[in-house]
Amino acid sequence: MKVETHKVARLHAILWGIFSLGGMIAAFLLPVLIYMTAIAYPFNLWPFNGTKDPSFLITGHRLGALFIFVTIAGSLFHGIFRFQSALTEVGLLKYRRALEAIGYFIIFVGIIVLAYYLATWYLNGTIS
Amino acid sequence: MGDTSRYPELRRRLSPGWWTANRHYAMYMVREWTSLFVAVYSLIFIYGLSLWATGSRANFLNFLKNPAIVGFGLVALVFTMYHAVTWFYLLGAISPIKIGRSKTKPWQALVLNLILLVIVSYLAIWLLVLR
Amino acid sequence: MSQNIATIRVTRYRPEKDSKPYFQEYKVPYRQDMVVLDALNYIKAEIDGSLTYRWSCRMGVCGSCGANIDGEPKLTCASFLHDFKGRTITVEPMANFPIIKDLVVDMEDFMEKLVKIKPWIIREKETPPEQGEYKQSAQELERYSQFSSCINCMLCYAACPIYGLNEKFLGPAATALAYRYIEDSRDQGKDVRFPIVHEMEGVWECTLVGECSVVCPKGVDPMLAIQKAKILGATNAIKSLLMPRGGR
Repeated sequence: MKVETHKVARLHAILWGIFSLGGMIAAFLLPVLIYMTAIAYPFNLWPFNGTKDPSFLITGHRLGALFIFVTIAGSLFHGIFRFQSALTEVGLLKYRRALEAIGYFIIFVGIIVLAYYLATWYLNGTIS
Repeated sequence: MGDTSRYPELRRRLSPGWWTANRHYAMYMVREWTSLFVAVYSLIFIYGLSLWATGSRANFLNFLKNPAIVGFGLVALVFTMYHAVTWFYLLGAISPIKIGRSKTKPWQALVLNLILLVIVSYLAIWLLVLR
Repeated sequence: MSQNIATIRVTRYRPEKDSKPYFQEYKVPYRQDMVVLDALNYIKAEIDGSLTYRWSCRMGVCGSCGANIDGEPKLTCASFLHDFKGRTITVEPMANFPIIKDLVVDMEDFMEKLVKIKPWIIREKETPPEQGEYKQSAQELERYSQFSSCINCMLCYAACPIYGLNEKFLGPAATALAYRYIEDSRDQGKDVRFPIVHEMEGVWECTLVGECSVVCPKGVDPMLAIQKAKILGATNAIKSLLMPRGGR
């Protein structure tokens, strides 16, 4: 009788958990962020139809930094994780390892850079 | 049953275009590919922040007003909403709640979460911009 | 006249003669209450005795007669001819499985997976029968009874593109059955089943296509079982991270 060994994929389970959290974030927080930055601000619609601009980024709104970090980091993780999986379903299954490596690299770099910018803003009141 | 040495079995595997076979599969693929727009929008946003980091706040704000960026943002919003809608439906499908004798249906979770999305969005705008 | 005739296009494949499968058409007298299995039986009895296919109970409980009918995995005994558009119906072997002959597919892979998940109650220590039954409340039964309805028809595997792309994937029915035992209050075999369900080729390959639950003739909803198993796996992994020596 063939003896098989089965190993719980603990790391992947945790990554899946983060991916799921990212999915919640992308569903609940990303739409309003895109609305504010791609519709309201460029077209001077509410809430930017007066004198305000996406100033939650600079006028001491630390909440803004937190919001951006959670929304963009969560969406980035979710998007890359799922897209890498979607690519394996359209014929690229044999490149799965490479796709995962590239995907996690992009996530890692993206989140580090994002955290650095937003931490700078959080502490100094400005990013540059 | 397992002896296929005398006759060859016909092994069939799916081609990369398997998802075009029917509507369910095609909608699934669209749903999964919304992730591309979510990921790319996030990367573009981080790039925008980098313009601020290496330049000034005005660089970032001008970047937001760039027509190509606005265009992509609009497309990304459409796909993000499609992600949200399908995500809410899936939430309903995987956590049916028993109420008395019957179970909740996925479309009910969809409606509930859409209302929640509106509330959360308004809260976000109020907390970040209006306050 | 043509109102009373149905055309059945069936996949034929004889490995000793054919290099690839082809369709053969048969004209079958049509009755309002006919199912596809009736048509196949008519063909075999009256027209072409060489047509080969599996069937048994003809009432949707044995799980033998699965096929891809007009592209969808269905039981031939549960597919009424009048439910299909027009009078031409295409019957192919269940997708994603190797074909042995005509509509008969090789089920070995599924059979191995079925055995692998140990579909029986596992106890650390069996109590002797004299001590009575293992009692279970109605609520405890409710937690898994839906997943125990599986008739092993494998339509879910035929519908699952992930299985079609990657044969190593544990798949809907096997996972649902494993989850049925994990959720059974009488079962004490979590240590044995978790590694099988939560290895990479277990639940983690699933991307929630959801077609498995759509085609299931018994309402098992394997997609739900897989999702609940994923949540179990993720919470266990996080717990083991936070409490390395702690409880499960």
